[in-house]
Formats: sequence, structure tokens, C-alpha cells
Amino acid sequence: MLNTLKLLLPALIPSWRFFEVIAASPRIEIAMLQTAQTKPRNWKAVRPKPEQVTFYTMLKRLFWNPYQNESLFLVSCAERIIKNPTDHSQQEILKRVVADLERDPETVPLPPYLQFRLVFVSRGKAKLERRVRYTSPVYQISDSAQT
Amino acid sequence: MNFDIAIRSTEILLALAFIQQSAEHLTGPRDEKIIFIQRLVLSVLLLFGIQTQWVCLALVILGLFILKRFQGPYNGGSDRMGLLILCCLSAVYFIPSFQWQEIVFAYLALQLVLSYFISGWVKIINPDWRSGRALQDVFQFSAYPVSENLRAFAKRPHLLWGMSWAVILFELLFPLSVLSKDTLICGLVIAALFHLANACLFGLNRFLWIWIAAFPSILWLQHRIFSLG
Repeated sequence: MLNTLKLLLPALIPSWRFFEVIAASPRIEIAMLQTAQTKPRNWKAVRPKPEQVTFYTMLKRLFWNPYQNESLFLVSCAERIIKNPTDHSQQEILKRVVADLERDPETVPLPPYLQFRLVFVSRGKAKLERRVRYTSPVYQISDSAQT
Repeated sequence: MNFDIAIRSTEILLALAFIQQSAEHLTGPRDEKIIFIQRLVLSVLLLFGIQTQWVCLALVILGLFILKRFQGPYNGGSDRMGLLILCCLSAVYFIPSFQWQEIVFAYLALQLVLSYFISGWVKIINPDWRSGRALQDVFQFSAYPVSENLRAFAKRPHLLWGMSWAVILFELLFPLSVLSKDTLICGLVIAALFHLANACLFGLNRFLWIWIAAFPSILWLQHRIFSLG
């Protein structure tokens, strides 16, 4: 209960420091594995942005935008894992990634195991830099339980 | 805008924002659906003004469950503003003294003003924002742009420098808009357009509706302060 009240406090006394610093931005990548011991090779970006979004779609999303809002929550979970890794953030990412895979006919039937990693993109001297800052344990997809 | 109208307007706008958010969660996992169906029902009751006092209290309690469920806000600032408005409304209903009710509602208005002013302040003291570099970073590599082709804005530094300064100046000068009713309305229209642009470009649709829900508080406070003379 005390922990929940601590979470409420920033809402009652907000800091409002929006976009204060543009920090490195996380991308979630997954590897689908046949065994728990398989070394991941083909990392695939989770929820890549579409090339283009029409103005009509932008207007529609003012009222109905669950996918982008869920994607932003995944970004929050990724940032939380770096600051303070918890099972909650890992499971939130895993659960939603598995739901995406289940919806995608190209990835059904699902492979038995899954691993994800967090790649942080930031401004480099000449070009964008990508740095892997977290690699998850291997998860068994059937029960989304950590192996 | 008098106090009663401002409170009722806030209830209606907050209810609509919560209905929009809750409906989005109905596409999510089962445990989320269960929580957000309850919030949807409570928000409809709030919209129609049915048992408002108890509905607000139930929404606050449900808000705590939602915070626990996601171990924090689901959508950062928009969730926090929603909770702030809700807590202020609830306090207004449960505090017997009218004077304290006004103070609580004025606190919401103050936070609305601060939400712009502090955001502007942290930007103007940051050299990356002053040079337009920070906004370039937002478009180039942040998770916010809704499509890849929007990242091409990062290659237009002059435009982004202008946009950065427009945002900074709007945010910093917003508090001055309360000096008259007309300037405040003008400020709130610009604010709504600013949130609309953020919603279109960065998919931050929840910010648009929830910030608008706080607008009646500042319209009331402006009237309350400047009608005294």
C-alpha cells in the first residue's frame, strides 16, 4: 500500500519536466529460439515504425490509439529495466511481445523459446550509435515462464 | 466561469478522457480489461453526474490499483495529470469548507500553468534546446515519431530551431496569458493546438484530452482573481 501511495505522490506534486533531456532511446529486439541453449543470431525489431502514416490516420488516432500507447508503455518498461530491473517490467515486455507474435500469421506457430534485448539509440559524433544495454534470460513461450 | 460550472465542465471533460483511455485498454490483456471496464462504467456515471462524489472516490481507488498494476503510470505525464485532476475533484467533494474547495481547485489550475512553465524553463536552460539540437534528436532517434518518414524533419535544422523556440516561448509565456480572459482563451487555444500537434506527430493523444480537462480550472481561477477588483 505504501509503495502504491509512493507511486501516487508524483501525480499530486508533479515535476512537469517534459523532454528536459533527450536521452538514448530504447528499441526492443527479439530472437526466436528452438532450444533454450540456442545462441540467438537473428534479432528482430519489435514494433518497427511504419514508413508513413496518413493525415487521416493521425486524426483517427486522436480518439483511438491503443497500439502506439502500448508501444510507449513498452519504452517505459525498457527504461525501467535499465534503471531498476524488475520481473514486472520484463514480464510486461514479454507478454506483449508474445501477443504480437500470436497475432502475426508469419510467426505462428510460435517457436518454443524467446529472448529479448534492449538496444539504446543515441546521437553519435558522425551518426547514430546503437548500444545493447540489456539482454534478457531465455523464456519459454508456452507459459512465458523464465527458464 | 463560476465555480460550479468549472467543476461540472472538468467532470465531463475528465470523464470523456477516461472513457477514451479505458476503451483503448479493452484491446489489452485480460487483467487490464477487467480493471478498465470498471473505469469505463465509472467514467460514464461521472459524465452523467450520477453519484459524482462516490464515483470520484471509486475512480481514485481504482487509479491506485492501476498504478499498482503497471508499477507506475502507463502513459507517464498524461496518467499523472488525470490522477491529479481526479484527486482535486474528489477533494472538492469531500472538503466541507467552500474556501478550501476553492484552494484545491486553484491548486489544479496552478499545476496546469506550471506544467507549461516548468517544461519551458527546463528547455531554455538546456543549450541543446536553444540550438534546436534537442528537437532534432526527438525526430531523429526518439521513440516518439509515429512514422519513419517523420524522422526526415531531423534534416531541417532551421525549421526545428524555429519550432524549438516557438515551443519554449509559448511554454514560458503561458503564465502571462492569465492576465485577461481574452489572452487566456488565446493561450488555451494555442495550448490545445500544441497538444494536437504532439498527438499527430508523436502519438501522444491522451495528453490532448487530459490537459483540456484541466482548462476549466484556470478559466475559473482567472475569473476568480481578476473579478475581485
